[in-house]
Amino acid sequence: MENQLLNNPYRQIKSTAAYRRLMMAYYFMVKHPAWFGKKVAWITSGGPVEPLYAMGVLPFYPENYGAMCGASRMSPSLCEAAEQKGYSHDLCSYALTDIGSSFTGKGPIGRLPRPDFLVCGNNICGTVIKWYEIQARAIRVPLFFLDTPFFHDELHQHNLRYVEKQMGEYIAFLEDQMKRSFPEKRFQKVVSRSFETISLWREILDLSRNHPAPFAAFDAFIHMAPIVTLRGTRWAVRYYKQLKRELEERVKKGVGAFGREEIRLIWDNIPIWYDIRNLSKLLSSNGAVLVADTYTSAWAMEEPDLTFSLDGLSRAYATIHLNRGLGYKTQKMAKLIEKFGAHGFLMHSNRSCKPYSLGQYDMRREVTRLTGKPGLIIEADHTDSRSYSPQQVEKQILMFLEIIRGKD
Amino acid sequence: MGNKPSLIREFERVASLEYKDIASQLPGDCIPIGFFCPYVPEEMLHAAGAFPLRLMGTPIRMSHVQAHLPPNCCHLVKSSFESLLRGELDFLKGIVFSHTCDTMQGLSDIWAFQKRLPFQFDFMTPSNLSSERSRPYLKAEIERFKAFLDANVREITPQDLKASIHLFNQIREKTQTLYRLRRKWPGWISGSDFAQIIRAGYLMDRSRYLNLLGQLLETIPEKSEDNGHPIPVFLAGNMTHSPSYFSMMEEAGASVVSDNLCSGARFLRLVTCEDIDPIDALTERYFSSFLCPAKHSGVQAHIETLIKEVEEAGARGVIFLFYKYCEPHYFDYPDLKKALEAKGIPSLLLEVDDPATSQGQLKIRIQAFVEMLNPI
Repeated sequence: MENQLLNNPYRQIKSTAAYRRLMMAYYFMVKHPAWFGKKVAWITSGGPVEPLYAMGVLPFYPENYGAMCGASRMSPSLCEAAEQKGYSHDLCSYALTDIGSSFTGKGPIGRLPRPDFLVCGNNICGTVIKWYEIQARAIRVPLFFLDTPFFHDELHQHNLRYVEKQMGEYIAFLEDQMKRSFPEKRFQKVVSRSFETISLWREILDLSRNHPAPFAAFDAFIHMAPIVTLRGTRWAVRYYKQLKRELEERVKKGVGAFGREEIRLIWDNIPIWYDIRNLSKLLSSNGAVLVADTYTSAWAMEEPDLTFSLDGLSRAYATIHLNRGLGYKTQKMAKLIEKFGAHGFLMHSNRSCKPYSLGQYDMRREVTRLTGKPGLIIEADHTDSRSYSPQQVEKQILMFLEIIRGKD
Repeated sequence: MGNKPSLIREFERVASLEYKDIASQLPGDCIPIGFFCPYVPEEMLHAAGAFPLRLMGTPIRMSHVQAHLPPNCCHLVKSSFESLLRGELDFLKGIVFSHTCDTMQGLSDIWAFQKRLPFQFDFMTPSNLSSERSRPYLKAEIERFKAFLDANVREITPQDLKASIHLFNQIREKTQTLYRLRRKWPGWISGSDFAQIIRAGYLMDRSRYLNLLGQLLETIPEKSEDNGHPIPVFLAGNMTHSPSYFSMMEEAGASVVSDNLCSGARFLRLVTCEDIDPIDALTERYFSSFLCPAKHSGVQAHIETLIKEVEEAGARGVIFLFYKYCEPHYFDYPDLKKALEAKGIPSLLLEVDDPATSQGQLKIRIQAFVEMLNPI
């Protein structure tokens, strides 16, 4: 495989150095909030972060940290620590990793920063409700829960009103925690930056419509950290402008993420964090590139409400990818295939993420019917490698690539 | 008035009916509508002239479901979907899902994808029961459900809805009496018979069920029979009204004095106020005492509710009986266990996949637990 890789070299993104500095600075601040006179809130990945930044609160994302633990292969031992305390092996490994890290004080950055309060939004899953209840009890801090009802087909007005009203409660909660009133002007600025970041991220991902794609989905899995954690800050805007410039330069020169791009694929679901490098090598050594995915594009909102209001924010958070039904997800996948000129799609059946994984079998059949492109489902877990069989997955992918070559 | 053995036999007969038998026994003009969860207001289905049929999982060999669902779904979801794919539920005119856990949410989407039933409705209950904003939202959702039934089944008049609420309240009242009498006289109705009685209530015409319950309550003995003083235990978990579990507990020398199963005592908490507007009353009942682990009502709510109920029931131990892969229950479990231990109440966790299988090992564990509760 190494020889094949020499024939298909990965082109390192220069902005990665700036990305590392940025994330290091972020984690340094979150780890030592008192040095910066800040409070810390733990928040779910789909939670409204803009009001936190407006109030000067540092957000910490246990899911993002879970991904970091997965990528550094520390997740299994942290999950085991949680399991020893009575938590079932079958629960989400992000949650188990976080709970295990809280118990042991272990993880890539050591003991996690103690939150002053928690913010949980169930627009990504129901798991986070239980997970944040557990942490709120264990750490003895207040929890704010933003309930965003799932919509299977259409968004009803009373549904939206419910989220908008709760957004008001969220602001009141923050004012109570911070003992000061909500700064409306600053909030507008944060939301404006947030939407600018989202637009930049969408433009960056769209650049991979070009042939060859300048930015593989495996790159997006890494460079997505600021859109999740620093959305609404000046830092994120600056960083994504830099990354976009670099990738536009690649497009101008006709340079792809890899030297050779014969098969273009779309990825569905959260990455297999501990095996990103191997999967990337496996695909690239066979001339295949993941050019887009449903996961990182979830942060690339199509039509942000540019009034920068709380109501606009409510709609944005109520309508994210994971809070929508199978019909929407199927159409989205079919559109990605068409938009990015893909030859097929890979679906990660993720035992830790039911909202993403339930329905994938039907979705695969339907997307193939709509687009004529084949799909492959591989079984894994996003951070816990204990139930992953890399040899089997490798065989499946190689056979799948052969099928695609045979079709074209 | 029927005698006790014949009444019990009738409950058993209904509880053991397969879907095809239920379908064949329904009157021609009946509109059977399936549902899974007590968050679906059965009263509204009933008031619309439909027959609410609760899908409670069946012992079934899985042969179709693997092509649609990953393995880590609970037995209720897998077996119900297997029944749908086999065509056993084709007699249903519709299905109503309510928003609870991620697996049910996913099942609803996949179910709709198959397009096997004439209609499907997703009743989106709020997950947050501690926000004041949840009440108007739920009320609007109930009104949306009513409009759907008006358009697709039959218009629900206020009189019909009030009558249905009254009927279901009576059923809850009689079932509550049954629970109380079993606690007083554990030998009067065996655990397995009791499980069948409860199960039958979701599968038969509700007026007839109420009538049978009434007849059964008239067979109460005048004085207590000597029953060997079984150890009182509390059963916590989801929808596992399989008679064999209750038998195993009784054979081990225990008696289930109360439970919080969503097909059991939790259902009894849905008594609906009859003095106010029926839609308001249906809304309000979900905020008073009914609490499923998939819902949030403050971070201590599940712990406090369980402790209170166990103490009120006078149980000496708690048996957690969970479907494998039931995430909301498994997330709560470690803290519930710890809270019970702090009160000196031991507990036992039993994980079941298909309730019809792997009972041998469970039996041994239940025996050991009950012996531990009653040292010589």
